[in-house]
Amino acid sequence: MSSLKAHLSEEDRHRIADGTMDEERRAVIDAHLASCWNCKSDVAHLTKAVPSLRHVSEPTAPLDDLWTEIHERIEQGKIVSLGKEPPEATPAAAPQKKKFSWLWLAPIGVAAGVVIALFALPGKRGAEDRQASSMVADTGATLVSVVDSSYAYEREAQVLLDKLELQRALLRPEAAQALDRDLHVVDVAIAELKDAVARDPANPALRQLLAASYRQKVDLLKRASNAS
Amino acid sequence: MVRNILKVAFLVLALSAPIVGAQIPPDMPVLAARRVSPTFAITLWNPAGHVRLIAWDLDSLVIRGRVDASQKFMFGAGENGVKSAIEGRVVGAEPKPSELAVWVPRRSRVTVRTESADIEGVDVTGSFYTVSGAIRMSGSATSVEAESMKGNLDLNANVPWLRAKTGEGHLLLRGRPQDVDASTITGTLDIATATIMRGQFTSVSGDIHYAGAPPSGAILEFSNHGGGVDLLLPATASGVFALSSISGIIENSLPGVRPAAAPRAMRVTLGRGDASITVRTFKGAIRLRPQ
Repeated sequence: MSSLKAHLSEEDRHRIADGTMDEERRAVIDAHLASCWNCKSDVAHLTKAVPSLRHVSEPTAPLDDLWTEIHERIEQGKIVSLGKEPPEATPAAAPQKKKFSWLWLAPIGVAAGVVIALFALPGKRGAEDRQASSMVADTGATLVSVVDSSYAYEREAQVLLDKLELQRALLRPEAAQALDRDLHVVDVAIAELKDAVARDPANPALRQLLAASYRQKVDLLKRASNAS
Repeated sequence: MVRNILKVAFLVLALSAPIVGAQIPPDMPVLAARRVSPTFAITLWNPAGHVRLIAWDLDSLVIRGRVDASQKFMFGAGENGVKSAIEGRVVGAEPKPSELAVWVPRRSRVTVRTESADIEGVDVTGSFYTVSGAIRMSGSATSVEAESMKGNLDLNANVPWLRAKTGEGHLLLRGRPQDVDASTITGTLDIATATIMRGQFTSVSGDIHYAGAPPSGAILEFSNHGGGVDLLLPATASGVFALSSISGIIENSLPGVRPAAAPRAMRVTLGRGDASITVRTFKGAIRLRPQ
């Protein structure tokens, strides 16, 4: 102990209380306790709490066995097999593998056929679709993905806004004001970006900025939800 | 210009500033003490005042605190989790400040929510939410998630995964984080660490400052609508910098780097181009500066 004048650390008090202090240090600590009423009183208080401290919750199952149980639960409600068992799982505990069936691929094949037919058939789409198609061809997959993420964020933001209207009464005025200020800032940014995107729809940087602003809005609304 | 110099000076100061509140809190009465499993979870609610969290190597939970007479301390413990809260004795009354100091096992997971109470943690893993309080984390952790509606965040941790978000507050990242998602709405975002391998930094109108050499293989993405993005780079910085702004300016004052060929876009390779840095703004300025 560096100085007997200083109070004991929390860990020292705790170790004295639960009896895990090593002998060498114990002597120094005892000397301090003999002269410091504050620490002595606190250790006494902690020692009274020791019965609850001594109650230890042991894991109900060894960690290695947990995966087997989880795997079994998943298998019970599965549609597609999870496949190979982990090497740790014992053969006895492992559920039987089911025979692989190609039948489950049938709906996917039908869906893929419909998608191909929709996009491959000429003359069925309007001018707007052709424009979108050429835009995709020009700017690549990045633009498609950011457009998709913008739509996804926009939808999520709307769901969160609807939810927030119900929770607004639970927000303290200070939080509500902060939320409204931030929402205004984000909405102004989104409006500016939407205008810019309308003028230059094939600009991937604009789309990415728009997606980022929507993401900000979603995050903000989630924070507000946490605050309520 | 003066504003920017002041910001840079702040960054330098931030790098050397100690975490003031990291010391062991003063003696406070024991509110709860319990032996817990090393990986237990605790959820804590303290509307106003201060919450200090300290991780230790003991498998015990100790909560000390000073609770205002108008408040009551609630505590409930289960097999692998603990819930604790400070609640007003009168429903709807403005909460009075209460001070809590909480010791938890190093591998435990902590969730803290506050309204105006500041949250301060050392070596603590978990999620921390506040409306207007400040959050300060330091030490080592497995993951840290810190969110505030309007408070400041100072995250100075050695952590593999870090998520930090604030609205109006100032967000300062230090320490040794690796995978970072950080954002503000109007607050300034300062990144004063060069250990981030995957980083996403976003603001709507707050300025973003990054100071340091991105590590080899790092992928960093900066996005800002109206605020600026300043990159302060040492001479040793190595990376491919793709900078673009819809209507903002791009300034380059790095020695030996050619000026932007186009007014709104610039691609610069420094050193061997080991890191990948992308900066996008709508109308905010992008600046490359020597550190």
